Amino acid sequence: MINVTKFIYSPGEHETEKASNSYLMSLIALIVGLSLPIINLIATLIFYLGNRKGTYFVRWHCTQALLSQLSMLFINSFGFWWTISIIFTDETISNKYISYIIAALIFNLSEFIATIYTAIQTRKGIHVEWWFYGNLTNLICSSKS
Amino acid sequence: MKKTIIQGLAIIALFFTTWFFLIQIDWIKFLKIQKITDKTEEKLGELFWSIFQKSEKENKNPFVVNSVDSIVTKICSANKIDRKLINVHILNKDDINAFALPNGHLIIYSGLIVNSDNQEELSGVICHEIAHIKLNHVTKKLVKEIGLSTLISMTTGNTGSEVIKKTAKMLSSSAFDRSLEKEADIKAVDYLVKAKINPEPFANFLFKLSDKENESTKYLTWVSTHPDSKARAEYIIEYSRNKKGIYEIILTNDTWENLKNKLQD
Repeated sequence: MINVTKFIYSPGEHETEKASNSYLMSLIALIVGLSLPIINLIATLIFYLGNRKGTYFVRWHCTQALLSQLSMLFINSFGFWWTISIIFTDETISNKYISYIIAALIFNLSEFIATIYTAIQTRKGIHVEWWFYGNLTNLICSSKS
Repeated sequence: MKKTIIQGLAIIALFFTTWFFLIQIDWIKFLKIQKITDKTEEKLGELFWSIFQKSEKENKNPFVVNSVDSIVTKICSANKIDRKLINVHILNKDDINAFALPNGHLIIYSGLIVNSDNQEELSGVICHEIAHIKLNHVTKKLVKEIGLSTLISMTTGNTGSEVIKKTAKMLSSSAFDRSLEKEADIKAVDYLVKAKINPEPFANFLFKLSDKENESTKYLTWVSTHPDSKARAEYIIEYSRNKKGIYEIILTNDTWENLKNKLQD
């Protein structure tokens, strides 16, 4: 699922720190965002916007962090509103709901672990491409700023 | 590009597969989550019905019972509702009221029948209450109002009779959520049309009662517990407009008049 590849250039110290921070940022967002999903997106988006004029390495990793949050946003939002409807409307707790929440937790946890790993690796200057998200980032993020 | 799309779809598929496999486990049982079972509902139905049985007088006149039964049976058979699931009880009381209890108990006050101008009006109210039963509104309301634990402890005899009496009163004299009422109204129109009963008198009934809303509401329990009668009448008319059909009567006019006379005595 996670692929370590060589980046087209060797990133400098300041770049690896900024890139790694984007994952840390999304990590915090992920913890808060589990209960309030929009936080995921807002936090990473702010960081992404702040760094869009950064170097290619920084931009690339900010984009990957942002994209990975996007899918979590869909999963968590659905779970969030389902929970709200159970609390406030006549919807009741069902097997489907509990299974969904467990599936969402598994996905959030995987993302959590992958994010920590990527944050550490990126800090060391190692380029980590995630399955699907890495490819998507390559399509979106151009090396020309 | 193609590879990325496939990978994206694979992630979505992975999520749904995980969800699908997790659904196979009975989490409700595994996590010991309290849930209303058919047995609980059956017990609650009996419990609440016994309260009304003790405090009110049930009309067991065969003519009255059979006449109302003909209407209920017609509605049920036309809408593929198991007739055995609906237990109709007619109580001698002047209030214009009808309500549903858990486990399909449908209580109709004689005052409702006497104050209905025609059988279609009565059928409309019956359909509305059957809709509450079929859409499981009664249990949902109970869970929301008094909580699941209290409900379950009622069935095990751990709740005082005062609480049970109060809950029974709440069921007979308070409305459901607006959205649930609307859902039941719309479903009632569907039931009526399928049973070849004109839904218009049902709307007229609400209009008629809404006019009386400002007058003495002593006996108008069904209206005071079902607010915004006018608005309801309007959307019932709007909804039934597209549902033109050939309508029939269930009881002959003589039977209907006899029924009202018998209850007025």
